[in-house]
Amino acid sequence: MKKTPIKRTLTVLALLATLPAGMAFADDDCSVPLANWQPREAVERLAQDNGWTLRRIKIDDGCYEIKGRDATGREIKAKIDPATLRIIKMKYKSDDGDDDDDDDDDDDKDRPRRDRKDAVNPTAPSMAPPNPLFGNGAPPKVLVK
Amino acid sequence: MKSLLATLALTTALTLPGLAIARPVTLTTQLSNYGGDGAYLALYVTDPSGAYAGTLWMAGGKSKYYDSLSDWYRATGGDLGQINGITGASVGAGRTLEITLDLADALFDAGYTLHIDAAVEEMRNSPNEVAVPLTTTGAGTAVKGRRYVASFTYDM
Repeated sequence: MKKTPIKRTLTVLALLATLPAGMAFADDDCSVPLANWQPREAVERLAQDNGWTLRRIKIDDGCYEIKGRDATGREIKAKIDPATLRIIKMKYKSDDGDDDDDDDDDDDKDRPRRDRKDAVNPTAPSMAPPNPLFGNGAPPKVLVK
Repeated sequence: MKSLLATLALTTALTLPGLAIARPVTLTTQLSNYGGDGAYLALYVTDPSGAYAGTLWMAGGKSKYYDSLSDWYRATGGDLGQINGITGASVGAGRTLEITLDLADALFDAGYTLHIDAAVEEMRNSPNEVAVPLTTTGAGTAVKGRRYVASFTYDM
């Protein structure tokens, strides 16, 4: 039977759909059974341990999502695994209002966009690094040429 | 009393430098024109036994992709506390990332190794893209990475 162009296109599309995707980065949704969820108090304790001030705790994409400020006063938004309380995603908002991480409303969630900041020098971090490798505790100076 | 003061002064003079000595080091990572999106790079150090000692810089702002920097991720368990305050944007193909920091003197000529893990969207991950021993004689010598790093140098 002779195939029409439309049929041929559909066949090609069907074949393409069965091909495995290329390198995909990890998803950031949670799928934890309700019985394994830790209470909100545990999230509050986690925040306290990290020196965060919480403004809001909600549930999004099956994870805890918190908003508030970190110990240095920087605006933060984090996704927390409800069972292990691991930080899955952390987003900082810098003083100029730019997000240093992605938003949930990204259309291309699975693609790391080339950051606008790639074109300019990234801002130097504001706080001392957390490890003893840094001799004087001063943050590194960073330049992208 | 005088001898006590003298002893104190002497011990302080002898011990403090050992703790506080650091040297300014510039880490220059030049990426090749690999023809892809901006690269995520983790620069970190391991001790003489190969155990993770700490991170120096994380280039790339979205934590959900950090597991693609697989050696770093395995060493740290993806602990974001390790990179708090030392993260920046991903680095575009052909660009150069220059980091200047005060590194503890004790890291040099003592068996410590600086590693770079690299990952690019839709391209292969490259854990341990660069691994260079931190030595005073190795400073200024350019090293080529396996996939994305055209050259890496540390200068003191």
